Amino acid sequence: MNILIVEDELRIAKRIERMTRDIFGSTLQSLKHINTLHEALHHIENSELDLVLLDLNLNGDNGFELLTKAVSGSFHTIVISAYKNQAITAFEHGVLDFVPKPFNQNRLAQAFKRATAKEKVENSKIRFLGIKKKGRMQLVPIEDIIYIKGAGVYTELFLTDGRKELHDKSLEKLEQLLSYSFERMHKSYLVKMSEIREINVSSGSKYMAELKNGESIPIGRTKYKDIKAKWL
Amino acid sequence: MKLRSSSYFLLVCFMLFASSCSQSSTPVFKRYRTIFKIGDQQEWAAKDLSDQHWKNELALIPDGQVFWSRTPIDILKAPEALKPYGLRLEAYGEYEVFWDGVLIGKNGNPGQEADSPPEGELWITFSIPTHLTNEGEHVMALRLSNYYYPDHVGNYGLRIDDYHDLLTDRLIQNSYMHVFAGAFLIASIYFLFLFLGNKKEYLTLIFSISCLLFFGLTMTHFVRTTIPIHYSLHVIRLEVITSLMFGISFLIPLYFSMQFPYPKWKLFLGIYTAVLMFIFSIEHHLFDLTILNMTLSLLLFSLCIAAFGVYKKAKGALLVLLTLLLCIFIRHYVSLNISLFTGFSLILLNMLYLLSLRIKEQRLAYENSLVQSTRLRLELLKKNIQPHFLMNTLTSLIDWIEETPKKGVLFIEALAKEFDLLNQIENQTLIPISQEIALCRVHLEIMEYRKELNYTWEEDGIDSERKIPPGILHTLLENGITHSLPLKDNCVKFKLLFESNGDYDCYTFLTYAEIVKQASGQRQEGTGLKYIKARLTESYHDQWELTSEPAHHGWKNVIKIYR
Repeated sequence: MNILIVEDELRIAKRIERMTRDIFGSTLQSLKHINTLHEALHHIENSELDLVLLDLNLNGDNGFELLTKAVSGSFHTIVISAYKNQAITAFEHGVLDFVPKPFNQNRLAQAFKRATAKEKVENSKIRFLGIKKKGRMQLVPIEDIIYIKGAGVYTELFLTDGRKELHDKSLEKLEQLLSYSFERMHKSYLVKMSEIREINVSSGSKYMAELKNGESIPIGRTKYKDIKAKWL
Repeated sequence: MKLRSSSYFLLVCFMLFASSCSQSSTPVFKRYRTIFKIGDQQEWAAKDLSDQHWKNELALIPDGQVFWSRTPIDILKAPEALKPYGLRLEAYGEYEVFWDGVLIGKNGNPGQEADSPPEGELWITFSIPTHLTNEGEHVMALRLSNYYYPDHVGNYGLRIDDYHDLLTDRLIQNSYMHVFAGAFLIASIYFLFLFLGNKKEYLTLIFSISCLLFFGLTMTHFVRTTIPIHYSLHVIRLEVITSLMFGISFLIPLYFSMQFPYPKWKLFLGIYTAVLMFIFSIEHHLFDLTILNMTLSLLLFSLCIAAFGVYKKAKGALLVLLTLLLCIFIRHYVSLNISLFTGFSLILLNMLYLLSLRIKEQRLAYENSLVQSTRLRLELLKKNIQPHFLMNTLTSLIDWIEETPKKGVLFIEALAKEFDLLNQIENQTLIPISQEIALCRVHLEIMEYRKELNYTWEEDGIDSERKIPPGILHTLLENGITHSLPLKDNCVKFKLLFESNGDYDCYTFLTYAEIVKQASGQRQEGTGLKYIKARLTESYHDQWELTSEPAHHGWKNVIKIYR
């Protein structure tokens, strides 16, 4: 695990650091603490990370600026903040969890579990996926996405208007975030259930899902039963 | 809107009132040229006297000598039965009146003025015997002496009409005008009390005085029917009227200047006053001319001010402009007297309307300031219960207690102290600076526990008795803490300096630290600075200045409070 803590209060940062070390133990590869927004952004761009623990108010800067950049990264983001009323916005942007201050080790462990466990999390609040575009951040509304295709460590988002956008998070990570409306049909496809028009069996026992826009997506042999049941 | 429509309604009422005053029925007589002769012969009263050698005018009759005048008059229509005609005279002097040779009345003691006290009235009505008013030619002869104005002979005011009507019509007019004057007297008293309640409101005072002068003007002008005035007092009355006019003519443009301020208004008013003085001094004995000229310059100058007000889109200026134009219009169509009273009432109504607009604005501003004050109190309270402060503090506190409980207790004590201090200052608008500094120090103590930095506080030249609005240094301190990173020795230093001179008090608040660069590039005005500005405005109006800028050592805030 490579973890970054972005927190401007030293005492609290130390607390997070101590608890993180306790929870992860030997699985922790690196743990870094940064106390300014500027440095944090720099660090995120230049390092391999699995998890970012983010405070939303950093020396008077609004952490949301960092949030939009952070959630578009290949890692998961957990917000640790005093502003409980911003939890919903944070979830809409696609954070994995929101830990309100003051927190204890149990609550932190619970958040970390979400990040490490491969099982799906219930996050029906996410409304956007942040994507990097020409150095700027752009938020893509979830309702505009038809399906997502894995492309190595990246993913491709296929949108209703026919556009295709690249996202830094892996298919596994997106599956974790989008589980409430998207289904993993195949090892490289995540499809919005409401977009499926028909499920067909073609020659050679190939299972295909025909989407409303006319495209066909293959269904994994092991997934077929499950998908069919859910779709019906 | 409601107010505006009611003022229009009043305008219309005054127009109707003015037009009803100017009504007159067709005259029943025609007068010819009056001729004069010095001397005293009883035969000169006769109707058929041969008077070819009498003079058309007399320049001077010294020593109160007796002289005679004869005025041929045609009666155009004989009176109805039992309704005798009356004769109303306005003539300088004490006199006896003969109608067709018959003595019909006496006003004072002609010829004995120098020896006896003034007697008689300037405006007087006599009844003419019915048998002497048949259609055709008649002669009115006067036997006069003019002791007080020996050079003022001639041009009498004269009216013949139904005797009863002559007696009552002025009474009726006067009763209206007294009611009218009373209204302005009440307004004057009311606005005087308003001014006494708030001595800064000079507009109310000016309006009150204007109303009082207008009341005086109306009374002096219309008092003649109810109180007999001897002709020797006439000039005094005219002097009073002209002086009242002077006062009104000065006050109205002054009022409009204050309502619709324009550049160099003092100079403009100075010029106007000079013009008024000039008009007042030249041809002073021609009172009507002086009054007319003063009124015209009043209208002209007020028009300029109102026009500028309209140009600047001042509230109510358009209505004033229209009213002034209406006054000029009225002046062209009715007599000076009527236009004077109608015009002034319209202008005073306008002034009242402007005043009411202002009072409304002040009320709104006051309500606003109450809301603002409450909001600032809440803001101050909120500062220390806002989640960022509270939750972060609690998180650190939990950590301290888990790690070193003894230090945790000290932390709690510091926290309690800050809340206690905040409670003390929460509902005040000004507090001693020493209290504010105590608050800052205890806040630094808390932040030391939270951030584990060394915060130091220094002060220089502080006069602990001075007062400042609560929470403003505290807010600057919070800003300083939030936006700064420690210097190499893990230390952040704050320093408060105080200077005072004859013009202002100056607080300089310095932060010695490495200032965090804002990611957005420019530092927007945060809620902190807004709070400070609102507090300063609340206590010092616009007599303050705040600068907040980076300095080589960190950050520098300067608050100047002018005296």
